[in-house]
Amino acid sequence: MGDAVVDLQEVGYVVAGVTVLTSITLQLEPGEVLGVAGPNGAGKTTLLSVVATLLAPTTGSGTVLGATLGTPGAKAVRPRIGLSGHDPGLYADLTLSENIRLWARLAGVPERAADDTLARVGLAGAADRRAERCSNGMQRRVDLARLLMLEPSLLLLDEAQAGLDNSSEPIIDALIDRCRATGGGAILVSHDASRLATRTDRVETLVDGALGR
Amino acid sequence: MNFWSQALVIARRDLRIEARAGEVTGVILPFAAIAVFVVPLATDTLTVRLADLGWPVYWLVSLLFGMSVALRNSATESPTQRRHLLLLGVDPVARFAGRAGAAAVLMIAVMSVTAPLMVLFYDPDGLPPIALWAGVVVLFSTGLAMLATLAGDVTVGLRARSMLAPLLVAPLAVPLVVGSARAVESVGRGTSTLGPLMLLVIADLGLAISAIVTAQPLEEATT
Amino acid sequence: MTSDTTRSWVNPVMGAVSVLAIGAGLWTAFTSAPDSEQGNFVRILYIHVPSAWLAFLAFGVTALGSAGWLIRKKLRWDRLAEASAELGVLFTAIALFTGALWGKPVWGKYWDWGDARMASTALMFFVYLGYLALRRATPDPTQRARRSAVLGLVAVVQVPLVYFSVTLWRTLHQPFTIRPDGIQMDSSMVVALLTNLAAFTILYVALLVARYRLPGEVAGTATVPAGAAVTAPNLRSEP
Repeated sequence: MGDAVVDLQEVGYVVAGVTVLTSITLQLEPGEVLGVAGPNGAGKTTLLSVVATLLAPTTGSGTVLGATLGTPGAKAVRPRIGLSGHDPGLYADLTLSENIRLWARLAGVPERAADDTLARVGLAGAADRRAERCSNGMQRRVDLARLLMLEPSLLLLDEAQAGLDNSSEPIIDALIDRCRATGGGAILVSHDASRLATRTDRVETLVDGALGR
Repeated sequence: MNFWSQALVIARRDLRIEARAGEVTGVILPFAAIAVFVVPLATDTLTVRLADLGWPVYWLVSLLFGMSVALRNSATESPTQRRHLLLLGVDPVARFAGRAGAAAVLMIAVMSVTAPLMVLFYDPDGLPPIALWAGVVVLFSTGLAMLATLAGDVTVGLRARSMLAPLLVAPLAVPLVVGSARAVESVGRGTSTLGPLMLLVIADLGLAISAIVTAQPLEEATT
Repeated sequence: MTSDTTRSWVNPVMGAVSVLAIGAGLWTAFTSAPDSEQGNFVRILYIHVPSAWLAFLAFGVTALGSAGWLIRKKLRWDRLAEASAELGVLFTAIALFTGALWGKPVWGKYWDWGDARMASTALMFFVYLGYLALRRATPDPTQRARRSAVLGLVAVVQVPLVYFSVTLWRTLHQPFTIRPDGIQMDSSMVVALLTNLAAFTILYVALLVARYRLPGEVAGTATVPAGAAVTAPNLRSEP
């Protein structure tokens, strides 16, 4: 194992008597980009939540960025993890600029850098528009801008392309390239394996909570 | 980023959202004002002195509408928003402090409007000094904001939340109501003001400790 | 978790012991001397006082279960908290009902705000009704355990303050001369009271154990795979 970015050994997750993940063993080496494909309900989002330290595995063990899952130490690496899912999670009543500045302030990033990132994803013109008046695609872009700004060591993208137009694809590429170049890692999750193939080094398949190539 | 800066960022977020959404100023506050106004209309003023009802109505309205303030829809974070804060490394206690702090500020605003209305409509005998009233309102709001924010957190995402959270808050808020009412009436009666104020302080401290102890396990429930 | 199939003797034995204890309690309650002022009405207190004591004990055990869950994260602590809270609500209701029944002949009314204990007991009743409502409203066992444990702890911090605040509220009211705890007691009355306190406590323990041993929802240990609930459709009709 050594200094793998993610190292899961026989990880399982059970909630309310339902087994969502069984015996997941996977490693993500520095600079590696992994794709996980699987049908709806296969446990993809749960797997990302476990890797993001948000859910503690009910069985098995694992480390993420050197921290052991399910221990208080796991919380220390959270600021180095960038997770993006279907819901961009913007505050509807705040403007796009206020949204990204809120995250910037909490992360200790200068507000100017936050505004710059918004410009980098092509939303400078909409910075003062409330999130509720922006399309879902625009909101998704703000979410990606958040990841550009926070520069995570471990990137976790859940159906990253959903709701995004072609002009947004370079943002995802930029995020992945940065992770690769800095010796971090990325896990991309999608129901569509063909979409993952172009961006990832290898693709694993998740069915009924178990990995199988 | 230290604890208090985090709490301040969260509180400012909530106040800014309220400034845009106007849920407290546009909906809850007018409703509270009407509640103060309606009670005299439901009272037989020939046999009941309205002056005696003023303060009880004030505390009841403060309790009920204070809970609405803390549990307002625009302050309910979505699961994704909570996840973002978790991954940014926001201390769960700081997050709690920020949200309860913003709610307390808004409660104080509501109680500052309903107080003169109550005095106008009920004309209670002998008003307490403004400083005493203000101190009591701050202690009451702080305690109620913490209690209701806790209740909001244990009921987040439940279908029955809108009624369940107030059911959990109301009986536990009794020390705050009794302490506040006693402190304010103590001047007119010549009884001790210190005792009720101490009760309020102890209740606030108890709630703060409860929040600190339970913030971590509650945070785990958010994903 | 303890196995529910072994130790099948526990419930019948506990049940028999509590029936004997309650029998002894009733016997002493009806054979003890009547009170000089209240006459036979004092006998209500042999149910009222033990019920009130159990209400407090039960809620203390709920707080213990809540703390246990938060520290150990084992669902058996949650089962203990739940079982005790249900019994607490039951005994609080009995205490309130018998208190009102006793108040009518002795105080002249069913409910009297002059007694701080009545008001704070009623408030405690509402607190734990809310606790059970929260449990009912939360479908996921782990979420339910976590949230109700938090509420159980907050409640146990606040309940003494509720009691104290009601006492403070009452200080300007004229206290009544006869209170359930201020009765001049004949020795046979002391025996009756103590016997009933013991009998009710045994009954509580028996009910608690029985409720705790009821197989609850299992979480965290089950092995049903996520897809098992869905099987291939069977559209052929049987003759």
